[in-house]
Amino acid sequence: MAVTPDANVTFWYGCNMTRHGEIVRLVTHILEAVGVAAAPAGGPGYCCGSTQEANARIAAGMAARTVEKFNQAGRDTVVTWCPSCHMNMDDLMAPVTETAFETQHITQLLAARAERLRPLLTHPVHARVLLHAHHGFHGRVPVNTDVPTLLRMIPGLTVLDHPLRIPGHMCSAIAPKPGVMAQAHSDTLEAMSDIGADTLVTIFHSCHRDAVALERGRTIRVVNWIHLLAEGMGLPHTDEYKHWRNAEDPRASIGTDRIAAAGDAAFEQLVEPELRRAPTI
Amino acid sequence: MRDTEQGLIAHIRDNSARLAAACTACGECYRACPMVPRTPALSNTTPETVMTGIRDILRDGAGTPDAIAFAGACVRSGECTPACPEKLDAAFLMRLASLRVRGTLGDAPRVKAPHDPRWSARVKAFARLTMNEEERAEWL
Repeated sequence: MAVTPDANVTFWYGCNMTRHGEIVRLVTHILEAVGVAAAPAGGPGYCCGSTQEANARIAAGMAARTVEKFNQAGRDTVVTWCPSCHMNMDDLMAPVTETAFETQHITQLLAARAERLRPLLTHPVHARVLLHAHHGFHGRVPVNTDVPTLLRMIPGLTVLDHPLRIPGHMCSAIAPKPGVMAQAHSDTLEAMSDIGADTLVTIFHSCHRDAVALERGRTIRVVNWIHLLAEGMGLPHTDEYKHWRNAEDPRASIGTDRIAAAGDAAFEQLVEPELRRAPTI
Repeated sequence: MRDTEQGLIAHIRDNSARLAAACTACGECYRACPMVPRTPALSNTTPETVMTGIRDILRDGAGTPDAIAFAGACVRSGECTPACPEKLDAAFLMRLASLRVRGTLGDAPRVKAPHDPRWSARVKAFARLTMNEEERAEWL
């Protein structure tokens, strides 16, 4: 049954989420189902400036352009996905360029509408899950408690508690630090084994794109929290990035026609090396 | 210089000065940081020494090698803020120090910052694989 929206927001999904188009789609559908009309916006044209933070001129210009586009969109709330974008908006963007909107993280919005979401979660998901939790960002937005609270509404799902917290606000922060990501993944697998978890649940995209490779050679499943909510709601979807990343031949997995449509040279230079990268551990 | 650039630089400088003045360099934030034991360059120093160097960085100083290493090691874990006895936003303090050692204000970078020169093209290439034409037109 269609739900008449009582809120109209911009869903600022960030830039690197273009690897996970299905998550953008699913978030939009889930928000619609709880009464929020969401217009997705992201990619380089909506950069928070963090990718160019070593240069104030470029970072400030990108950030101001993004704020101005959100102001012009006329929606009173920008719902964030990426913790970098969210913190940059709070710390460096809004204090410099006047905003005509409030910022709210997607987990906060769904937690606030949990009682509208609960009756929609009718499809059992039988899994024992460990949350891939970082130290960072939780001090700003309580993601490490809100996400488990939402997931516990899914029938059949068991969210297990474990004290493991990984440094940083998401895995892209620790990826350049020698050995830190490998240790994080090793600690995660050990934690899963300790508590009998069969599924690892990521919160953020940069964590997801590396953690999915942990499925190789193991009998565990790696999913994003949005995938689990979608399963619970019976929304069909496919985590294509995970399939491509874990495929023996990503080219064959994607298919010649899609690669050609995306641009073969761009695929070869910009996409394929990432998909063929060896797992961290 | 554009207004937005001036605004960002002033914001970083003003908050750097404010937080450097309030910080006592007690080192509690350093002790709480999960990256300290994961950063070999910090194995022979003291929390107070490092944070004195961080204050120097925030005050436009050169900083010490230990302080530069600590600012460069920051991955925004945020454990520093609840540890601060002065109730400062220590995570923001470290973010500002981190921006400064990366050369945000125009100084020569003192740490190597990860940078993907093909980030924009890569993001768009993935979008062509995962989003249809209509979605790309509306969402990007």
